Amino acid sequence: MKLFTNERPDIPISNHHKEDGTQWTIKEKLLLGLSVQDYWKQFFRNPVNWLMIIICSIGIPLLLGRYIFGLGWVTHASNDYPWGLFLGFGLFGMVPLSASGFLLGTTVELFGRKDFKSIERLALLNGLLGYFFAVLFLEVDLGMWWRLPYPMVVSLGPASVLFLVAWHVATYLSVQIAEVLPAFFEWCGWLKGKRIIRKFVLGLTVAGIILSTLHQGALGALFTYAPAKVHPLWLSTNFQWIHFFCSSIFAGLSMVIIASTLIRNFMGWRCDDTFKNNLDYVTVGMAKGASFAMITYLIIKIVAVAHDQEWSYLLTGWGSYYMLELGVGVVLPMCMFAVGIRNNWLKLIRIAAFITALGIIWNRINTSLICFNWQMYQEIPHWKEVWITITLYSIYFMTYRFIVYRLPIVYGWQDGK
Amino acid sequence: MRPRTRKPGTTLLCVGSILFLSLTAPALAIDAPETINIDVMSKFYGPVTFDHAMHVDYASCEECHHHTTGEIVADPNCARCHTHHDAKTVVSCSKCHVADRFNQEYISKLEDPELYHLDKPGLKGAYHLNCVSCHVTTSGPTGCVDCHALTEAGEKLYRTGAFTPETKTASGKEH
Amino acid sequence: MKFMEKLSRRRFLKSGLAATAAATVIKNTDSKASGNFEGYPDGMGVLVDLTRCVGCRSCEAACNKEQGLPEPEKPFNDFSVFDELHHGQKRRTDETAYTVVNRFDMPDFDHPIFKKFQCNHCNEPACLTSCFVNAYTKTPEGAVIYNADVCVGCRTCMIACPFYVPTFKYSSAFSPRIMKCIFCYDTRLKLGKAPACVEVCPQEALSFGKRSDCISMGRQRIRQNPGKYVDHIYGEHEVGGTSWMYISSVDFDKVGMDTTLPKEPILNSVKDFLAIVPMVLTIWPALFTGFHLLATLKDKVMEMEMEEKRKEKEGQA
Repeated sequence: MKLFTNERPDIPISNHHKEDGTQWTIKEKLLLGLSVQDYWKQFFRNPVNWLMIIICSIGIPLLLGRYIFGLGWVTHASNDYPWGLFLGFGLFGMVPLSASGFLLGTTVELFGRKDFKSIERLALLNGLLGYFFAVLFLEVDLGMWWRLPYPMVVSLGPASVLFLVAWHVATYLSVQIAEVLPAFFEWCGWLKGKRIIRKFVLGLTVAGIILSTLHQGALGALFTYAPAKVHPLWLSTNFQWIHFFCSSIFAGLSMVIIASTLIRNFMGWRCDDTFKNNLDYVTVGMAKGASFAMITYLIIKIVAVAHDQEWSYLLTGWGSYYMLELGVGVVLPMCMFAVGIRNNWLKLIRIAAFITALGIIWNRINTSLICFNWQMYQEIPHWKEVWITITLYSIYFMTYRFIVYRLPIVYGWQDGK
Repeated sequence: MRPRTRKPGTTLLCVGSILFLSLTAPALAIDAPETINIDVMSKFYGPVTFDHAMHVDYASCEECHHHTTGEIVADPNCARCHTHHDAKTVVSCSKCHVADRFNQEYISKLEDPELYHLDKPGLKGAYHLNCVSCHVTTSGPTGCVDCHALTEAGEKLYRTGAFTPETKTASGKEH
Repeated sequence: MKFMEKLSRRRFLKSGLAATAAATVIKNTDSKASGNFEGYPDGMGVLVDLTRCVGCRSCEAACNKEQGLPEPEKPFNDFSVFDELHHGQKRRTDETAYTVVNRFDMPDFDHPIFKKFQCNHCNEPACLTSCFVNAYTKTPEGAVIYNADVCVGCRTCMIACPFYVPTFKYSSAFSPRIMKCIFCYDTRLKLGKAPACVEVCPQEALSFGKRSDCISMGRQRIRQNPGKYVDHIYGEHEVGGTSWMYISSVDFDKVGMDTTLPKEPILNSVKDFLAIVPMVLTIWPALFTGFHLLATLKDKVMEMEMEEKRKEKEGQA
């Protein structure tokens, strides 16, 4: 893509009109202004796409197999370990990493921090896609996936935490679609739609905070149903929802740092100057936010251990593992953030963000799989389960990239505000 | 704990049916039947021919008949009330231990606040609890089919004999 | 402060509306979350006496027949199953068996202990309270039954059940469902009859009756046989009480039963979270809209000043 953008002044597309004054058609916009041949040429020249093709060529048949032969064919999820990698990673991992939407939405729209405006759309998109794919992961894992709307319309179990999660994720997904729509409206040139959404932005943002607080917390609260199964260090019935909510703050921020870093490095042609010039500033800002959330998180983690009188567990093997998780997943990146912020070392901040994201996934997998049934045997995910998870994540990656290539996420649309 | 040996395969349903009718003191043995055919509950297992005369040599009357035969009852819980040594007119097991122990009518009778015998076993329970525990200590037969043979219905229930499963793979086992 | 009014009323209403919409969605979250339900007064129960069980597996056979479960791998009078280990664990219930008996060798005894296991039919079942489509029902007779027609297959009930009872038909792609003991509700309990396993048990190791009578029976057995039993009825208070209860001659943790379970229902540990839901729903909208007003106050003041200046200029012109 870089090649073409160097050769042709009219691409990347960032307005409705070509050089000669005629309008871009939707098809041309979808093809990024390239001819079909050129489009495929650039597609196959990218080694990442080859990797994606390999992953999907095995993963998609496996995925189909899951729907034909049943869950038992692809997973090691069992009667002892009902939830495997699809939920452990796909739901419990993806959702906190997608908290970015409500965080930046709140920062910009609610607290009026216009200086973060340049990253807001990326954060919203990151949130939307993360949630959308978390739902897709859920659809792979649900036994009767075709009954997904049942908790909404057929049979309601409102006293359950999962009911809350279902409703909130569904509502929040709609909120996020509404929040990302302006970018889409600009791209296809329907400005009226954008103005309509603009009117509701504050309401949507407030709804976003409420829904996010509750369902991020609710995902943690789901494990309070298993007080005798999850290792006490990973489960505090009083604080679980705060742990999950608080950790989603730095998870979401880190994910935006990662996404923006990748976009700037590999899709530089797509970013406009506002995005590029502001990036270092907003990255430091988000790193500050993340490190505050991390220290808060650490404190309530310790409070939980103290509250539940679990100090003695820290001396066991599980305790070492717990401290390893906190040390590598939280304390280390927190210190890196702090040093990075102080010295304006952006590279360090970006590495720290990467570690933080992995740390969060690690924590969620620990809670849902590794430290679950800690007094029993350990379930190891089936290779098909791992492959399908990677496949879905690859599709997530490609969708993400597809949208960032086209919609005005990291650049401003030129005509018609 | 009373020492007992119980092995999964050998113990059970079995021994069955001993106490069915009446055991009386040796002096009165003339009133007691030589053998008793226990068949009231045969469904999955066939009837048991209980050699009453032979069991008289192994156990005293009260070990099976409690206080009803006029001997001093051994169980201290029984002895608290049943101190009279008069033999009862009816001593057969089934007169006190009902075959249908868990029917609603019987269960509702347990509501009676005056009732002491809350926990009286049903007939099948009475036989097995009494017979098996004694057979274990006296090395009597303890396997189910040592006392009563499986009927066809029984073979079907246990999926054994003619009904043994052919395929060795049941779905979902690894989960 | 005119601008404040103008700004806040409309915007506040709008965001308030969104929040109210969110609130109605989950308003009745705690309608059933009482957490101290002690079971229906006339609910039935079963007392399992581990000292009586001899491991004949008749209950497994009767259950299989009654519930129309798939043919077993081995006959029900094949006792080699007691030596089977899966992932180092003794046999457990699965989609082919609602109840299993396991043998526990006791080094101190000259005989092993057998334990039958099935759904304990909690007074306040975790499966029921965790289900977001209300697929579970605790019937007045005491059974916890399941409705496969609304189940989505999320398997949260399996996470929540402290006894690892609900199992999932992983083998089925098109009609998966939860498989678990239903106390023979449809075919027997509803009609006042004892479940199939109780009826078939030769040793009367399973005694069926009103739950309250089962407790009295258990207490009587413990009292009248000094030294024979551990002085505890497992299930009388565990996780808020269960319809099926156990008495044993050995400590319950030696026969694979979790003795660390809380005395109160599983739901109680979720209550902390459920309690914050109304709080977040009511306070957050006002709080954050307030933050918004404060945070953007300076901008607004500047805007107003600019406006006034412009008007002044216009007026002058």
